[in-house]
Amino acid sequence: MNNLGESLKQIWDSCINSIADISATMEIMNLELPSAIFTLIIRWILPLLAITILWRCILPLLQVRKQKAVWGYLYSRGGAKTPIKHWENSIGRSNSSDIVINLPYISKNHAVLTFRDGTWFITDLNSKNGVKVNGEKIEKTASLTPGDVISLGGKEMVLFPGEKEAGQAPQLDIISSFISSSKQVKTGVTFFLILLFQALGCLQVCLSMGDNLNPIIPQVFLLFIFVECLFYFITRQYSRKYFELELLCFFLCGLNLLIVASAAPHSLFTQLLAIVFGIAVYMAIEAIIRDLGRANRLKYILVASALVLLVLNLTIGEVRFGAKRWIDLGFITFQPSEFVKIAFIMAGTATLDRLLTVRNMTAFIGFTAICVGSLVLMRDFGMVVVFFGAFIVIAFMRSGDLRTIALTSSGAVLGAIAVTSFIPYIATRLEAWGNVWDHAYTIGYQQTQTMIAAASGGLIGVGGGNGYLSGIAAADTDLVFGMLCEEWGLLIAFIAVFIIVFFSIYALLLTKKCRSSFYAIAACGAASIFLIQTALNVLGSVDVLPLTGITIPFISRGGSSMIASWGLLALIKSADERLRPKTKKYYIKEGDRS
Amino acid sequence: MKLIIRRSAILFIFSLLLLTGLVLFLGNYINNASTWVQHSSNRHLYTDGKLNTTGNIYDRSGRLLLEMIEGNINFHEDTTIRTAVMHATGDLNDNVATGALVAFRDRLSGWNFFNGVYEFDDMNTSGNDITLNLDAQLCATAYRELAGHKGAVGIYNYETGEIICMVSTPSFDPAHPGNIPFDDPRHEGVYINRLLSSVYVPGSIFKLVTSAAAIDHIPHVKEKVYKCEGKIQIGEDIVSCLTPCGEVTLEQALATSCNTTFAQISLELGSKTLQDYANAAGFNSTMHVDGIQTGMGRVDLSDAEGANLAWAGIGQYTNTANPLNFMAFMGAIANGGVRVPPSLLSDEGSFASLIRPLIKKERIIPPKTAEKLGRMMRNNVTSTYGEWNFKGLELCAKTGTAEVGEGKLPHAWFAGYLDREDYPLAFVVIVENSGSGLRVAAPIAANILRAAVN
Repeated sequence: MNNLGESLKQIWDSCINSIADISATMEIMNLELPSAIFTLIIRWILPLLAITILWRCILPLLQVRKQKAVWGYLYSRGGAKTPIKHWENSIGRSNSSDIVINLPYISKNHAVLTFRDGTWFITDLNSKNGVKVNGEKIEKTASLTPGDVISLGGKEMVLFPGEKEAGQAPQLDIISSFISSSKQVKTGVTFFLILLFQALGCLQVCLSMGDNLNPIIPQVFLLFIFVECLFYFITRQYSRKYFELELLCFFLCGLNLLIVASAAPHSLFTQLLAIVFGIAVYMAIEAIIRDLGRANRLKYILVASALVLLVLNLTIGEVRFGAKRWIDLGFITFQPSEFVKIAFIMAGTATLDRLLTVRNMTAFIGFTAICVGSLVLMRDFGMVVVFFGAFIVIAFMRSGDLRTIALTSSGAVLGAIAVTSFIPYIATRLEAWGNVWDHAYTIGYQQTQTMIAAASGGLIGVGGGNGYLSGIAAADTDLVFGMLCEEWGLLIAFIAVFIIVFFSIYALLLTKKCRSSFYAIAACGAASIFLIQTALNVLGSVDVLPLTGITIPFISRGGSSMIASWGLLALIKSADERLRPKTKKYYIKEGDRS
Repeated sequence: MKLIIRRSAILFIFSLLLLTGLVLFLGNYINNASTWVQHSSNRHLYTDGKLNTTGNIYDRSGRLLLEMIEGNINFHEDTTIRTAVMHATGDLNDNVATGALVAFRDRLSGWNFFNGVYEFDDMNTSGNDITLNLDAQLCATAYRELAGHKGAVGIYNYETGEIICMVSTPSFDPAHPGNIPFDDPRHEGVYINRLLSSVYVPGSIFKLVTSAAAIDHIPHVKEKVYKCEGKIQIGEDIVSCLTPCGEVTLEQALATSCNTTFAQISLELGSKTLQDYANAAGFNSTMHVDGIQTGMGRVDLSDAEGANLAWAGIGQYTNTANPLNFMAFMGAIANGGVRVPPSLLSDEGSFASLIRPLIKKERIIPPKTAEKLGRMMRNNVTSTYGEWNFKGLELCAKTGTAEVGEGKLPHAWFAGYLDREDYPLAFVVIVENSGSGLRVAAPIAANILRAAVN
């Protein structure tokens, strides 16, 4: 209470002082006056812009809930009509089945009814009494046509699709589409606000450098804005999906560039290249995995590549800062473990029918062990935690078996503790945890400097480019949260973290309506990686957790990290089924599939 | 799919964990950011380990006690004044941890939660000035009165909480810190603000606590008569007075500071009651003066019985008192039993002046008790201490002569308040190892208090 009162008092005083300052300085002719005035004003505007952008992006994403669709109906003898509510539906005696049939001859998980590429399929999950279609027992999977009679252990049902034409995604009906378009948050305005934020931020950083301005900074930002506009117009023209998610990522990438401009301007261009490449990877992965068949093939390619990368890393990898995580290709160095993340998620995901048939996850567990083992050998212990967390999420979503997961987890954690307590720099990190202020110049240096920087920034920051944390090693990777707090303020730093949290809320909401558990698990796995990385980085840099050398997705400097983040984003986006409602203009041309 | 949807809740749990961590950090930040920012490695505030900008420090009359010009800190031009307020302002080398330069560094450097360390104009730091409630001239007077002794003087307004005099000796001239002879025992503890941080054996001033307990718990205590024959045997020990006091009431016993009477009263009250009143009076807890934590006086009567309990009620045994805490107790008695916490920083005309009183005032004894105790303290002065020494002050007080053993002279205490509407001041004076409260501490207090009301 005491501190709240004093804080309120200080806010009041600072308001009064700011006004006094402005009038006092009007009398002094100061060469730095224009830049100082700009900083004074911009510090207030940027956080407000950030909040507005966040709000405008979240609202449309939250409108996911409003769509309810029924894909078809199963009619059973006696007239009962069961609606089919998902793309993939499990049928069985278990309560968690989508279609529950409580009869003695039905297995707990009997079959899966899938709608894919315009056709219905039924898959037998190795049930006791089998599945018959029109009287014939099926082997594994069979396609269905409307009117087919499906028999599960004697129980007969007839499939009829919904009132829409087979093959089209359900669309909002006429009335609700008008309603939602009038309430629609205009994406164009949000995009403009983001560009404005980046332009003002760039100007701020340039002004703060004064004569030391590196001309590359405004050039890169102009290029970046150009790239963003290109993406925006292409997507708007050729895709009917919502792209608030990408806009939020652009916002984060903008923050990234602002950080790099302040800390390491010479690598600004490389970072922009990484962003562009990341966007390309994003669009590619999204296009490829849209088709589940292709997605499965991609899975195997990625897993194979991951194994190759890991082996390469272990053999020819470079040792830097005690960890062997980089491969040097001469013109570029990259971190293979970042790309392995994408392969890992893809390896773990599966469609519902495969999930419920193949009860064990031996292959996936094996792959996990290889990855984790390699990472341990590479001494990349932060990444081990990330993979482990993602493993728990994926394993739980696949098996639901909390007990086994808890057992394996505790075993793994105990093993980890046993091993790592022998490794000096980990012991140091653990020793520093919780009492960094006692070792403020030695093992607690980075954390205390981050906290000092955060405190110095206050709520709205000291102004881009005016911070001192940028001079410390790893300031733009491991301690980037501190840089955000110091230069742009606690508000903007928290907004950045909320965006990452929001990705996972978004993934959660999407799983309700997505086409296959393949996408659902992939989205949740990718979101969990984002969450864990952000938690380790942010909380580690301020001594809530031990410090680990992990990057925040999108915001930390790093080519591999940036590209991999976009790759993971594609996994989240692929679960998004929503389409923007047709505008009046297009409504006439209903046959159009755009 | 329902299956998958349900299980996706695990992601929600992970999100909550991250948010919890953020909240933890935010809590940490709100509580500690002002401390973090003052760390000497913060290049926003320090250059080469030295504070690179600071606001000015003024006293309540607008005297400039400290300013920074071109990287150099200057103190008040008068030697006595700057030496007297040295513990309040702090010194150049941050040796005085409770001085403003260290304790209020965040304000002096202009930090606040909203703006961080951002300054629009580095030249103009008037927004970072602080005004202390102290009256520097009065402090100088107090310093001169204490000259040669080790001790402390504290005077504060018991209605508003403003500390108008805070002096601790020995002190030194902060403008010339190099001239202190450190191995000289006369400068022992020179960096310590004895008013805020030290604890001493209280001696007879503790009888005020015992009296408060007696007023509330001994039936008909106003008329009750105690017999003092100069000494009293308790178990195997003897508690004695300097001279036999005869038959006395509580009021008379307080005025003559009769040990045997208070020994009997302590035994009557019992250790639990006495402990409760000691705790209420501020013992066994610290106060915070604008964030600076005071020392803690201790009274532990858990194993005290018989003679030990008797001595405790007289102010000996293992009791220790912090001068500022005790001064606040005097203020509570003066203020109808409500203790207003003392403060150094002036918050005139600001937001905090509205909310501060609401948050921190505390009732520590019932109003009737305070009134009766106050009357007895007035009686001390009129009947025993000599009203002519304190003419016009409307003084209510108690002397204390705290025995410290080991062949050393006792500490001299004098504590109380002025029962005047125009000068509602409570005070404490302690002079270490110097003799009796009445002969040493009281005259010092008289001179300073007279200066305060003129």
